Amino acid sequence: MMAKQQTAFLWKVGAPAGQGVMTTGLLFSKLCAQSGGNVFDYAEYPSLIQGGHNTYEVLCSTSPVNNRAWQVDYLVCLDKVTLETHEHRLRSGSIVLFDPAAGKISPTGDYTIIALPLKELLAELKANSIMANMIALGASWALVGGQRKKLETLIAEQFGKKGAEIVKLNQNCADRGFETIVGNTTTTITFPWHKPEKTPIVLGGNDAFSLAAAAADCRFYASYPMTPSSSVLATLAAWQKMTDMVVRHAEDEVGVVSEALGASFAGVRAAVGTSGGGFALMTESLSYAGIGEIPLVVFLSQRPGPATGLPTWTEQGDLLFACYAGHGEFPKIVLAPGDVTEMVVLTKQAFDLADIYQTPVLVLSDKFLSESRMVLDSEVVERELSTPPEYGKTIRQVDELPYLRYKNTDDGISPRLIPGTPGTHYQANSYEHLEDSHTTEDPEERSMQVEKRLRKQATYLSNHWQMPSIEGSLERAEYIFVTWGSSKLVVSQARDMMDQPTAHIHFTHVYPMDREKVAALFAPNRHYVLVENNATGQFGTLLRSEAGVDIKHSIRKYDGRAFYSEEILAALESA
Amino acid sequence: MMDINPSSLDFTGYTPTWCAGCGNWGIGKGIELALKKQQLSPDRVIMLFDIGCSGNMNDFINAYAMHTLHGRALATAVGVKIANHKLPVLVTGGDGALYGEGGNHFLHACRGNHDLTVIVHDNSVYGLTTGQVSPTASKGKKSRSTPSGIIEQPVNPLLLALTQGATFVAQGFTAQLPQLAELITAGMQHKGLSIINVLQPCVTFNKENTYAYYIKNTYKLPEDHDKSNFSQALEQAQSVFKERFPLGILYETTRPTYQDELPQLASEALAERGRFEKSVSLLDNFK
Repeated sequence: MMAKQQTAFLWKVGAPAGQGVMTTGLLFSKLCAQSGGNVFDYAEYPSLIQGGHNTYEVLCSTSPVNNRAWQVDYLVCLDKVTLETHEHRLRSGSIVLFDPAAGKISPTGDYTIIALPLKELLAELKANSIMANMIALGASWALVGGQRKKLETLIAEQFGKKGAEIVKLNQNCADRGFETIVGNTTTTITFPWHKPEKTPIVLGGNDAFSLAAAAADCRFYASYPMTPSSSVLATLAAWQKMTDMVVRHAEDEVGVVSEALGASFAGVRAAVGTSGGGFALMTESLSYAGIGEIPLVVFLSQRPGPATGLPTWTEQGDLLFACYAGHGEFPKIVLAPGDVTEMVVLTKQAFDLADIYQTPVLVLSDKFLSESRMVLDSEVVERELSTPPEYGKTIRQVDELPYLRYKNTDDGISPRLIPGTPGTHYQANSYEHLEDSHTTEDPEERSMQVEKRLRKQATYLSNHWQMPSIEGSLERAEYIFVTWGSSKLVVSQARDMMDQPTAHIHFTHVYPMDREKVAALFAPNRHYVLVENNATGQFGTLLRSEAGVDIKHSIRKYDGRAFYSEEILAALESA
Repeated sequence: MMDINPSSLDFTGYTPTWCAGCGNWGIGKGIELALKKQQLSPDRVIMLFDIGCSGNMNDFINAYAMHTLHGRALATAVGVKIANHKLPVLVTGGDGALYGEGGNHFLHACRGNHDLTVIVHDNSVYGLTTGQVSPTASKGKKSRSTPSGIIEQPVNPLLLALTQGATFVAQGFTAQLPQLAELITAGMQHKGLSIINVLQPCVTFNKENTYAYYIKNTYKLPEDHDKSNFSQALEQAQSVFKERFPLGILYETTRPTYQDELPQLASEALAERGRFEKSVSLLDNFK
């Protein structure tokens, strides 16, 4: 039988934690990307180091992909649980790799099981049980018609640092897996693999934040590990020797944000990264950044709460908390990238905005956006990374004395002098203050400073706030989807699957927003559908309060998992 | 409104609003004397003020400064010093701020040996909130928040600093100004984390730990006290349990500072060097 030509497939591997699923997934994704496939990959795992059930899936296509798919074409089971957990996502014709020695199974669907005798092969190769993942990698690569030599070179790259012996053992295991499948032409496919013109870049949301922070002249990053933000800490820490950024794992989130404010005051761009619980601890200091007018970038990668919630899963549940965080009234800018490219662009912008408006700027992510990775257009990324930062009214000398740190200005922004500049001094005062920064309780001075700070918000709305992006015709659309943050991805995918004319309004600059301009996008007689990965429809609430727009129809999901486009279609049908 | 020129390079700011006889007057003076003695000027030092009566010094001494949130002056100072390690950084705050609200920052700043000088105004009460007990209050002390007497035993600041890794630990008394100024100067000259606990009567809310009390219960460290000897320092610090308060430098040792250990700070200050311009090359990590 001839091998089938295929233009897209979804491959998924599963095993208990500690069995190397992450490595297998990452390598398979790299094999696909380096062989000309467009990949989108995503790992799911419980909050455990050993045991539980970890998975990694890779969607590979001839055309760009920016989201997951429901149907699993190849399921690689390193244990029985993998098959039992994901069987419902198999279709007729899906292929399952399974070791009969892993236990008795009773398949219920019309899919093909290929026996991959992992135990037997491990014994033959004298390999440790964790190496089953390499056998599975080789077998998978053969199934999708990949080039055998590619395995060898990638493994050499990946394990090179661990020494020749480890490389060889991994290569042998992968090759043995490949060989086991390669003769089986009834089940392999051909995918139009080719050597891409330029080595593709595969980035996740956290990778994108890290890169953009380094490019944005961030010189101080502090964090306390918290999933799903922790990989930013690890990435930036690993780059310190090259970037000269100082990366601090501080004692707690209160220390983290305090240190960042200190560094920012003393003249360096500073950022912190966390998830909801850690951010809760930082909110008091956010308020200090507000009144002290100290630039600060906060990377907030959401996970399902309340409290410890579901630590390793996803949700867009902290939007309103982020917008309204901090006691007292002060301007704050909240940006919500919808995909990895937007993460690069908006992170760069966040650092500029923090300096320009001398106030906290939040970049919202979530576990899904933070950890799903995709092939990006390297030219767009390189251009963005190379654009020099804008520092706003940051000054290193004073032309006129006395220097007034909190000078009342038309745009609300006062020149911010870097401390240590000779000839003057000032304080970043957490108390209400005079223009010269001394403490005051005078009612007129107080009102003037409140108004000055809030004027920065109006300046932002006219100078830097961006309208949501609009795809499709708002006039002709039967459904107009409204999204913010990572639910952008699933809606673009769902629209491709729909026959009816649809449109999509996607918000990135979520708070504050221009009331009139936003309201003008919403006509009374159109069908708007808000898609949010939370239970209470928080962006709907924000639109009501900030723009006076009330969207009646919303699709929400709050089980810790990101949406599948099929779920959007099903929800529309049942509405 | 007082007529103060904010660009004046004199350390003297607004006239303090502290109560007549408050121990803060002496500490404020001690800081000013130490800064002048080192020929510093308000544009060559960064000060961090915590919240409380002591923190109100923000308007009384001129300097580049942050008047932070309660308990956060020390943690904030860690960031300041990393961003510009060329400038001396001084932290002042009360016992409530440093040993209570910011207690965790205190432990970890000691461990890190950040090159900072920390002056703790230790008066055993929360003055600005009208006299509740602070972490250094004696067991049984009655206050508005502890009408039947505080159950906890007091924090021993000297032992705490010593055991957590501070490399300079001293105690002063606000009424002994020349010594206090010397201790602050020595603390600022020391490379690493310097903790100077300053005994300070609160004349309004603490009727027990008065000037007379401290004059009676403080003592000068013996002539033969070896400040490089950790065991001797621990021994002196324990006399606090017997209501005897040593004055002077209990301990001083040399250990690389946090800043020394950062290769990023080997030459220029973080705030003063050029921008990292090779971010595109970082993309190689994702190919």
